[in-house]
Amino acid sequence: MQAIKVPLKTRLARMTPGQMIMFGILAAIFIWFIMACMILPILNLLRTVFFEDGKLSVDAFQKLLKSPRAMKALRNSFILAPTLSITVGFVGISLVLITEYFDIKGSKILRLGYLTTLIYGGVTLVSGYKFIYSNTGVLTNLMASIFPNMNRNWFTGYWAVLFVMTFSCTSNHMIFLRNAMRSVDFQTVEAARNMGASQWYILRRVVLPVLLPSLFAVTILTFITGLCAMSAPLLVGGKDFQTINPMIKQFADMTTTSAKSLSATLSLVLGLATMLLLAILTAIERRGHYMSVSKVKTKIVKQKITNPVVNVLVHIYAYVLFVIYVIPVVLIVLFSFSDSAHIQMRQLDFSTFSLQNYVQLLSQNTAYRPFVVSIVYSALASIIVGVLVIVACRYIQKRRNSVSATALEYSLMLPWLLPSTMIALSLMLAFNQPRWYMFNQPLIATLQLLLIGYIIVKLPFTMRMTKAAFFGLDDALEDASRNLGASSLYTFRRVIFPVLLPTVLAIAALNFNGLLTDYDISAFLHHPANPTLGVKIKSLTEEMGNSSDGVALTFVYAVLMMIISAVVLYLVYGRGSRDDLKG
Amino acid sequence: MIRLDGIEVRFGDFTALKDINIHVREGEFYTFLGPSGCGKTTTLRTITGFIEPVKGTVTVKGKDLTHVPVEKRNIGMVFQNYALFPSMSVYENIAFGMRVKKVNKTDIDRRVKEMAAKVDLTDQQLVRKVAELSGGQQQRVAIARALVNNPEIICLDEPLSNLDAKLRVQLRGELKEMQRKFGITTVYVTHDQEEALTLSDCIAVFNKGFIEQIGTPNEIYSASKTEFVCNFIGDINKLAPATIAKINTQTVRSLNPEAATYVRLERIHVNEPHVQGRAVLPAKVAGAEYFGLYIKYLLDLEGQTLKCIDKNDGRQYLKSGDQVEVAIDPADLMVY
Repeated sequence: MQAIKVPLKTRLARMTPGQMIMFGILAAIFIWFIMACMILPILNLLRTVFFEDGKLSVDAFQKLLKSPRAMKALRNSFILAPTLSITVGFVGISLVLITEYFDIKGSKILRLGYLTTLIYGGVTLVSGYKFIYSNTGVLTNLMASIFPNMNRNWFTGYWAVLFVMTFSCTSNHMIFLRNAMRSVDFQTVEAARNMGASQWYILRRVVLPVLLPSLFAVTILTFITGLCAMSAPLLVGGKDFQTINPMIKQFADMTTTSAKSLSATLSLVLGLATMLLLAILTAIERRGHYMSVSKVKTKIVKQKITNPVVNVLVHIYAYVLFVIYVIPVVLIVLFSFSDSAHIQMRQLDFSTFSLQNYVQLLSQNTAYRPFVVSIVYSALASIIVGVLVIVACRYIQKRRNSVSATALEYSLMLPWLLPSTMIALSLMLAFNQPRWYMFNQPLIATLQLLLIGYIIVKLPFTMRMTKAAFFGLDDALEDASRNLGASSLYTFRRVIFPVLLPTVLAIAALNFNGLLTDYDISAFLHHPANPTLGVKIKSLTEEMGNSSDGVALTFVYAVLMMIISAVVLYLVYGRGSRDDLKG
Repeated sequence: MIRLDGIEVRFGDFTALKDINIHVREGEFYTFLGPSGCGKTTTLRTITGFIEPVKGTVTVKGKDLTHVPVEKRNIGMVFQNYALFPSMSVYENIAFGMRVKKVNKTDIDRRVKEMAAKVDLTDQQLVRKVAELSGGQQQRVAIARALVNNPEIICLDEPLSNLDAKLRVQLRGELKEMQRKFGITTVYVTHDQEEALTLSDCIAVFNKGFIEQIGTPNEIYSASKTEFVCNFIGDINKLAPATIAKINTQTVRSLNPEAATYVRLERIHVNEPHVQGRAVLPAKVAGAEYFGLYIKYLLDLEGQTLKCIDKNDGRQYLKSGDQVEVAIDPADLMVY
């Protein structure tokens, strides 16, 4: 269906009064939300950086250059990001080759282990690693009993951050790179063998070149993740290895204006770097992926590694990786049943196992409150984002190529360009005082502020996916419904929405999942009396060294979170892709 | 040239091929024909080495290749989807095999250009990405890529099956022409009987992992050895016992009315001058399909329906309900 361009004036004239009122209300809500919650706070952040006492100045940058802590954080981030890209790239590619390309014994179990980062990431994962590797950690205790003179504080600083993040950031590889691997046309591998190519030659010249565009894309995403690192440096970076985001948070929490402006300047630097990287990413995506010329693709047959020595080494490597991925998960689950004394000693004693920690979580207000807070916030934000985006997409679909539709789309995609800490900081700086565009209500220390933050950061992803679903719809459906006399709203309600519903629910579930363990935004915007789960876990993890009952709670939170995430992922992907799992 | 002796292939519990014996002579165009799942591709992949048989041997020029790995066999292959490397240019695709063998650059360049010229690919097409080529050009690249390594044998796995009907006929011609030009021993897999009949010197008809018949196109078509072959190749009529009995009364041959007896459409003669030895039966035209080049009639012989074709040469044009005389030569009948 070719959208017929009707000027807005004519469209308005054709509307019934009821439709006109509804259109007016919706337009007002969108314009207000985009301006008041996104554009104006960002402009305000820029003003904090570039204007001092009402005058344009670049003092903020000079201050940044003079602040040794800020400069060190910047340097650290720009060391971490590229090295992380390399380590994650190496581990990520090997995960994909082990699970999808080579014939490795037990690859199904291995795959499950490698996929654990999908249900167990962010601050929870860092907390699990800390439990194992920190100065009182399980592994450290074990090693200290063998080498009594070892430095117990070995797991801190750059290497610790790099280690933790290397294994927590492979999710993108496991999703996108694996998909790319699955779409390799296996006949090309056979053709290469037929022409005499060796296994290594085929991998290097035939398979990897096809994966290259996806590999570029995930590498850039990893680079951005490295720049925007937050919980890993906070928890295991120690004094010497803090990066940009923790610094932004620290400066933002100070009361002086100069610290606040320093914080804003850092976030701007981070924002510009992210934008540059995303521009590169877009350019790569535009250049396109290699289109296989096959009409029918042949599924990959796992390649047995012919060299026996290499084969054994690869198997060992695969299982070492498996252990690294799985041990924290297993220990967290086991220790969640243990009492705090044994957790303190890092000793597993099955005779003391009980559901005590779970009972405590359910019965103690302070314990279950963060959980409830996060669930409510995540659910609300996912629903609101879903509704906003559906309405927006319907408008964009109906008014394809109009100025207003394009403006709406770009505005809702805007947060994609900005690091989430920058968005959070802009909200924090904008609403620490009454603003006319927020009806003169200061939002700091209110419950709404975090909700707004959550909604904004989930807009771009939701927009991208929902729009794809909208445009994937068969236009003939709508034409048929209209042809049978249904109105536009009725068509949407009874024909289009039901078709889109599974996708919309899937997107909402993924958003819910992502927000549940959020730390980066909550750290800036959470209500003082109502910390979110991420904030709570982070503070409990910091106490891990001390004797505190809280540590046991961390494990219970983590276990519950893994369960929720696993259920959500199963509902979204599991049932549809069972056939893939069989292969 | 190629000999398969007593080949048996199993996938788990399933026996995909049983007792396959084939002898392909040098320079021959040899086709494996059969419905999908009959084992023809499996046999081809046994020759190229992608599949190792549990029993039997594969020999080429007297050399036992049964357990030689794929990459050491030097048997060219053109895949069903062509399997062109999407990340490489046309040139790189053709040069691939030589690069693997570390042939020096000037030789590679010379041979790629020579081969490209032979298969009618221009220099501009050589620098293109494979995705930018048409189906026919892609096929030529796939063939060039296989032939440039000077294989003694080339195997083609349904290379025309993904193309539209017109291109298929055109490329069929080009393929045969190329084979003639290069004189290379060719093993060809197809489920399309017309392709098999027009291209081949020799055809092996497969069914459920067995070979039903091996022979020239004319032997396969006109003297089908089994009921399966005569049904699979071309269109055919099965005669009813009553019809066979009627033929018996008019000719010297006595046919068993209970045996499965077939006759090809073009061997049924309508309203032709009587010929010694043919049985003549009265029939009524029950329907017609007009093809232009010929007309396909449905004839009613007192309960038996027969299909026949009549060249559209202007001699006669029958309408439904017309009474006709049908002549059948018992020598044309295939009895099983």
